[in-house]
Amino acid sequence: MEAISTPRVTCAYLNSYVGKNVIVVGKVIQLRGDEALIDADGNITAHLNREAHLAAGNGVQIIGKVNPDLSVKVLSSIDLGTGVDYSLANAVVEISHQHRELFAYD
Amino acid sequence: MASYGGYTRTGYGAQGGEEGGGFMGGSQQQGSQGGATKSHADDSLRPVTIKQLVDCKEAYPGADLAIDGLPVTQVTLVGQVRSVNPQTTNVTYRIDDGTGVIDVKKWVDAEKADDPDHTDPRFAPDTYVRVWGRLTSFNGRKHVGAHCIRAVTDFNEVNYHMLEATYVHLCLTKGGPPGQQQGGGGNAAGGDAMFVDQAGYGGGGTGAGGNAGGFGSGSMAAVAACSKNAKNVFNFMANSPGGNEGLHINFIASGMGMSIRDVLSAVDELMGQGALYNTVDDETFAILDY
Repeated sequence: MEAISTPRVTCAYLNSYVGKNVIVVGKVIQLRGDEALIDADGNITAHLNREAHLAAGNGVQIIGKVNPDLSVKVLSSIDLGTGVDYSLANAVVEISHQHRELFAYD
Repeated sequence: MASYGGYTRTGYGAQGGEEGGGFMGGSQQQGSQGGATKSHADDSLRPVTIKQLVDCKEAYPGADLAIDGLPVTQVTLVGQVRSVNPQTTNVTYRIDDGTGVIDVKKWVDAEKADDPDHTDPRFAPDTYVRVWGRLTSFNGRKHVGAHCIRAVTDFNEVNYHMLEATYVHLCLTKGGPPGQQQGGGGNAAGGDAMFVDQAGYGGGGTGAGGNAGGFGSGSMAAVAACSKNAKNVFNFMANSPGGNEGLHINFIASGMGMSIRDVLSAVDELMGQGALYNTVDDETFAILDY
């Protein structure tokens, strides 16, 4: 019931949300220890937590906080498998920014 | 509905029970038009984001909760389970779809509780679920009383639901897609198609928003096929305060600086399209808003 929203973003929107929690849906490009490179209309570096179980090439949804260097500190992540329509996910990000009254508190 | 009625009468005329069922449906619709009783016409299922549910308010204390001016009861939403709180009579899930957080209560069916085949599955935190339920407000707190919850197996359903919720919101606030309003030569058909859409989402269009949307696009479609003069006259009439009696052609002619003859031909054309009707006499016209 709280007025809290976690905006869905792609790479291009990250600099508008520094210090805030966001949702990113993208494809895992590379895994380097506790870091992952995720493609969400551009590459995003994600600092993973211990619970993360990602696989390179799979889709992933991460919820995390945007750092000043535009990397994302992951709070929660879900592996989405391979059947993810990334253009659909990017379209939803665009729509959710066009119609903010349905999706986000300012 | 009508085709069903015909079918039962001709094919299964002996089954009085079926007939009774059909009649009940009809009487409920009449009740909704009167507006006196709590109708089921507003029970059309609406896809929503959680923020819409959190934001929506009653028009006045005691009124139905409304989103975009339309009463909302049955909703469907997609979100992630944030926490699970099992109680004796229900299981309360906190559902988060990124736009907001809301409590969803799934009542435990006491009769089925002993039957292991029919107990409701529990959903673990972080799983995506789709909820069908009824939005209710209790002591100022809103929650969704779930009829049914199921896990989302294809993640794309999450995104598709967001687009669907946006689409319905835009249909209700701004009218349907432009293709339907200006649809080719068949202006009347365009208007009708629009109306069916409205009824589908608006549940009979008892809400003011639904009616306004249907009217605007319907008459626009009819007027779109008319000449420039007729369009100008229609716009003039739409923007003039005429009351129930409408406007006299002399008033229109002087107001627009047109000759009586031109106004008459424009009015004839608009009447032919069903956009106008004459009121107190043959020279006074009003816009037909159905």
